[in-house]
Amino acid sequence: MSLSTLTKPWEAMSYGFLDGSAKRELRRKMLKSVAVPGCQMPYASREVPMARGWGTGGLQVSLTLVNPQTRVKVIDQGADDSVNAASIRRFIARVAGTPTTMDTLEADLIQSRHRIPEEVLREDQVLVLQVPNPEPLRPVQPNMSIARQMHADADYGRMWLQLYEQIVRSGRVMQGASYPSLVHGRHVMTPSPIPRWDVPKLHMAEHLTILSAGREKRIFAVPPYTRVEPLVFSDVPYKVEEHGHLTCTRSGTKGFFMNEVPQDDGSSAFEVSDSEWGVKTIRARDGIGESRGETWYKDGEMPQ
Amino acid sequence: MLAPPAPSLAETRDNIAFDALLWALSRPGLPRDLPEPGEGSIITALLDRECLVYSADPLLMPEIMRTGAELADIGKADHVFLGAMTTSDSLADIAIGSDYYPDDGATVIIRASIGSGPAIGLVGPGVDGVVTPQLDGLPDGFWKARAARLRYPMGFDLFFVDGARVVGVPRSTTIEEI
Repeated sequence: MSLSTLTKPWEAMSYGFLDGSAKRELRRKMLKSVAVPGCQMPYASREVPMARGWGTGGLQVSLTLVNPQTRVKVIDQGADDSVNAASIRRFIARVAGTPTTMDTLEADLIQSRHRIPEEVLREDQVLVLQVPNPEPLRPVQPNMSIARQMHADADYGRMWLQLYEQIVRSGRVMQGASYPSLVHGRHVMTPSPIPRWDVPKLHMAEHLTILSAGREKRIFAVPPYTRVEPLVFSDVPYKVEEHGHLTCTRSGTKGFFMNEVPQDDGSSAFEVSDSEWGVKTIRARDGIGESRGETWYKDGEMPQ
Repeated sequence: MLAPPAPSLAETRDNIAFDALLWALSRPGLPRDLPEPGEGSIITALLDRECLVYSADPLLMPEIMRTGAELADIGKADHVFLGAMTTSDSLADIAIGSDYYPDDGATVIIRASIGSGPAIGLVGPGVDGVVTPQLDGLPDGFWKARAARLRYPMGFDLFFVDGARVVGVPRSTTIEEI
């Protein structure tokens, strides 16, 4: 062993910003999280030049996975052009030299906050979700040591109780986003803060989903072809948001998850949340070219 | 604006190796390509000073030692290299983690021939229906010994390396011997 084998040439910056040991640790944890779908694995969560809570967990996963050929798409609340998405996309491109795209179908790696794109993801694509709170049990058990015990025992009675109380109190399940879901029949996970609309897209999907919470330092995954079942009572079916009948005022597309835009007269206008889907619809309408892929929802319904 | 850093050869190799491992584990039973034959790229992609490693194959030792990983007994190691197996006894000692921390279950790398020998049926997450890879060079009773150790979510995750090809079998996969 000589000095040259122990050192490496000087670099201004590690490729992909993270240093080697951070990447290796993430790799080990990613493998474990794929091996036990939906189970939260602790990891170190290094510093990145971005405040925790703004997607640092997702960013670390993306930086570990990318190589100069990986085409990266970043979305925030469905939009490619919001500040958070644009900043993360530019950062990844700057430190890893990756090509970027806004087209869901062209992307190899999609980092997302709050939404899963409306177009069906393929087997060769990876979806990285930024997770603010990875612990589904936190509303019912704030002590995380006890929550870990509950996960170990598959003791999810209180999750059901919480849903039951919501139904009794309000007549329906009030959980709007991050709806607790049972993965592979064993671990309950909170599927990022994605709306109820997006949870069925994870069930038996073709793509790999990695969910990473940077502030909370936990990572979990949903491999392809894995059961993801929202917790429901047999007599109270799972309901997605009633957006199936809404039409986007900007693009005219119908039957997808919408953003509500309040109007001066007290009414609401709607625009499609997946901004690239809206752009593609407008392009198709104006005859510039049809580039829309298969969508999960058809006519506002998710086929079973 | 700064020019984006170019990945070094080692970085590229580790990235490709991990990509293969991640996909092999996400799609159990389907072979993926490592950047080079053997366990070398797996070692550099995953191991460093934080790891406890057991290797039954002395030829892998120099490479493992270069990563700074510590050697440990098979029961304590988080990465276990079994080389070409002759008996399945060692499976009885591999760490399977705990219900609290299933991630303490080991990653096990074994040499086998992919595409020949007895077929096995895999069912579970990552498998669309059923896949039936053929694996040869495993000792008798291997899958029974594995099943005897698994208490999902406790268990260990297997990678079978044949030259530059790798097949993953995570603990979530149920095996049926055909």
